[in-house]
Amino acid sequence: MSLSTPYTYIQCPCSDQTVLSSGNALSDPEEDERTFDPKAPRSNYSLYPLEYLLYCEDCQQIRCPRCVTEESVTYYCPNCLFEVPSSNLRSEGNRCTRSCYQCPVCIGPLQVGAIQPTTDANLLPTQYQTNPTGGPYALFCQYCNWTSTEIGIEFDRPSGIYNQLSKINNGGKPKLTLRDVKDRRKDNPDEPPVPDDQVDADLQFAHLKAFYQSRLSETNTSIRGLPLHDGLGFSSPAALTRIMSLYTGRGHQGRLQQGPADIMREALGTNDGLKIANLDESKEIKKLINGGWDATASLEQRKEQTEPIRFEDQLRPIAYLLRSKRSKRCPACRHIISKPEAKVTSTRFKIRLFAKSYIPTITIRPLNPTATPAPVTYRPMVQEEAPLKPHQPYHFVVTFKNPLFDNIKVTLASPNATPGRFSSRVTVLCPQFEVDANTDMWDDALKDDEKDRSRKADEGPEVGKIWEKGRNWVSIVLEVIPASLRIDQQPKKGNEKIDTSPLKSGEDILEIPMFVRMEWEADTQADMDGPASKDKEAREKRELAYWCVLGVGRISQE
Amino acid sequence: MSSKRHSVLPAVDRSGPKPPVNFSTSLTISDNAVLQGTHSITMQAETVVHPRSRIESSVGSVLVGRRCIIQERVHLGAPSDNQDKGTGGVSLGDYVLIEAGSIIEAGGTEIGEGSIIQVGSKIGSGAKIGKNCTVSHLSVIANGDVLPDNTVVYSNGTRRTDKRGTPELRKLSIVKQIAMLRKMIPSNPDKFR
Amino acid sequence: MSRRPAKGDYIETDTGNKVSRKAVLVGTQNIMLGGKTVIQPEVMIRGDLVRTAQAQPPSGGSAAPPNTTAVAIGRYCFLARTVLLRPPGRIYKGVFTYMPLRIGDHVFIGQGTVVQAASIGNHVYIGKGCVINEFAIIKDYVKVLDGTIVPANMVIPSFSIVAGKPGRVVGELPDGAHDEFELRDLYKTVGNNPQPAAA
Repeated sequence: MSLSTPYTYIQCPCSDQTVLSSGNALSDPEEDERTFDPKAPRSNYSLYPLEYLLYCEDCQQIRCPRCVTEESVTYYCPNCLFEVPSSNLRSEGNRCTRSCYQCPVCIGPLQVGAIQPTTDANLLPTQYQTNPTGGPYALFCQYCNWTSTEIGIEFDRPSGIYNQLSKINNGGKPKLTLRDVKDRRKDNPDEPPVPDDQVDADLQFAHLKAFYQSRLSETNTSIRGLPLHDGLGFSSPAALTRIMSLYTGRGHQGRLQQGPADIMREALGTNDGLKIANLDESKEIKKLINGGWDATASLEQRKEQTEPIRFEDQLRPIAYLLRSKRSKRCPACRHIISKPEAKVTSTRFKIRLFAKSYIPTITIRPLNPTATPAPVTYRPMVQEEAPLKPHQPYHFVVTFKNPLFDNIKVTLASPNATPGRFSSRVTVLCPQFEVDANTDMWDDALKDDEKDRSRKADEGPEVGKIWEKGRNWVSIVLEVIPASLRIDQQPKKGNEKIDTSPLKSGEDILEIPMFVRMEWEADTQADMDGPASKDKEAREKRELAYWCVLGVGRISQE
Repeated sequence: MSSKRHSVLPAVDRSGPKPPVNFSTSLTISDNAVLQGTHSITMQAETVVHPRSRIESSVGSVLVGRRCIIQERVHLGAPSDNQDKGTGGVSLGDYVLIEAGSIIEAGGTEIGEGSIIQVGSKIGSGAKIGKNCTVSHLSVIANGDVLPDNTVVYSNGTRRTDKRGTPELRKLSIVKQIAMLRKMIPSNPDKFR
Repeated sequence: MSRRPAKGDYIETDTGNKVSRKAVLVGTQNIMLGGKTVIQPEVMIRGDLVRTAQAQPPSGGSAAPPNTTAVAIGRYCFLARTVLLRPPGRIYKGVFTYMPLRIGDHVFIGQGTVVQAASIGNHVYIGKGCVINEFAIIKDYVKVLDGTIVPANMVIPSFSIVAGKPGRVVGELPDGAHDEFELRDLYKTVGNNPQPAAA
């Protein structure tokens, strides 16, 4: 998993431009000559290790995290692991509404604890005073020792912190909520709106939301009949795609505007949710002079807060952001290729079509490792290989493990010289071979054939021959002659100007692009339209081809 | 499914001079603890020393206050190989909790009353830690550093002042811990006298 | 105890556990190993920090002996050198008690890590030099990177990658990462007759 050991990345075809541009058929010779350059900036976005890739069975193609469409299956709080129904998500937002909070100073988890009155520590444990458990509660951070008493917030009950917190300001004074304002308005209809500096972000938002809802219901806008005023119109992904279809021009052109084009009134005062900024900051400056650097909140702390604040005593506990379990769909055929179970605590998948069970696993290791194997008591240690010396041939063993239940025939193609400024010479000693099916071990033992097991190492790597073979895997040898990294010794390539800029980062890593093509015969999964006829049981030849990159190691700079 | 009992634990390295000790009668010290060095080691009332902890007085004397807890793999009085090391030994106040794997270097190091040194920390030689401090896990306090009272050192060396104002709570929790540990750890102070 | 005639570095039990002779296991009657677990030298497991029975039997009938497991480890776990496993303790009903530390199957704990968690799920990879504090709960399929400090009482949900001091969830594991956590091959490479690492 780390970059120092030899790695293999596989390219997803979603970034292949020939597929995207429909109607631009490239002539065949041009397509064949286009090799994959792993050092190009664009290829960075299409290379993934094998565990990231998924496979769509209908399209018979690899899918990567960038091209799949994701849909949420469940939402849950990462702290209490409680599932949040999606209806709650729309109304209460995407944070946990139980008692899960993060410390604003160190982002560690907060614990609810009772603020106990001090006891005499010299008493023996059996005689300590019992503390009243109904004492006031506060939030405590176990890592940085921050407590909510530092901002003056205490609670009466240990549960339902969310509700209690929404009613208290820092410093202990109660917050002005929309309900309070409405009650006041009821008692005293002539009262002027709340002054600007008493309106905080929550109250402003509540006012603004109410204002827009009333405006929208008045002007009667709706999109395709779905009313917007209750906020439901924007939530589900299906509704969003419908709305987006207005902008992309598809759909009914003539029905964009229904009814008279109404002009909505803007918000005018704090009643409508407009809060005028207070440009006089002399109070803050005085506080800064008194408190100094330590009294301010750092940039990271401010980023996590929901409201813009400046000082440490304005920090509030941060509710945990909800996490989701997502199912992934193939973008072309819309089939689901990965679907986890809805239960939060279960780690199983209802549908899992991972690339690991469809394409061979490729691993690479040096034939003659320079690093000594780690002693048993220090396992596992990642041994760093010595960097490769230029102009010396190195051999690497590439192993292909076949996950399918059929034999596959693998064809490899690799450009003679790696692309880039310093091109190393690469030779695949055995470009075509067959890997046996992934049968059970017991079937193999019962078969009784004498399979050709490992060859002895005294026979050197030969061209055209497999290095080693096993039940469902095959190893072949790759020969690499690294190029020299000296800038002045670059060979002249025709009329091109030699690039004499210093070595860029990553240019000394030897990466080999390789085109892998596998062919196999599979039983066709015929749709059972009518009675199964004998023709449909024929075996179908299937093939799959993709580029992959073998990261071999670093070239030493001598 | 249970593991079979091992008949003998691997031997503890007891090489080195046996230091003169000055133990209180209510001390709980496991017989797997290691005391080495030439200067004296003093441990006051009700302190608990876990097995496999190492107290070394080769550089200077070690003084451990009342009701302290020294967990396993702690190395008190480690010699410092740095240039700016101080002279003297290690001195711990009362109610100090030193968690597993910490290294407290010798050389005039002082740890004030009620402080907690959490797992894996390293206190450099000559550092002076105030009262009721918290040095969180894997922190490194440089040689000669001074921490004022009620400081919390966390994350990558960030410091902040602890405004909880509840040192009594911490002392109470240490007292309760000691009460439980005295039953659990078989004490053998005579082995070191 | 089944000892092989040739004295190797490891004691291999009937259930396949490979415990190094240089490991320090205190209070072994409270330590449960699941089988096929590897414990490397200089590991320390505090089985003596166990919860002592508090409850009195209500009537004169015989009370079942309280379950005094301090540390329970699952199958195919791998504890690298100098790991320290300590049951977490807190003040419960006025008394300081230690709660059991439960570790699931296929858990890899890197060198020098100190674990004081309440529970660790299955298929977890913990890097070296980490500190996992009291009553942390780590669910299945989690990767904790090297040098992480997991603060006390933190819950790490499944499929997370955790790093930092204090630890935060920095990423999600790809769905296909199930096989990365298999420790069967690693188990075979250690012991008195180590097999070479799989090619």
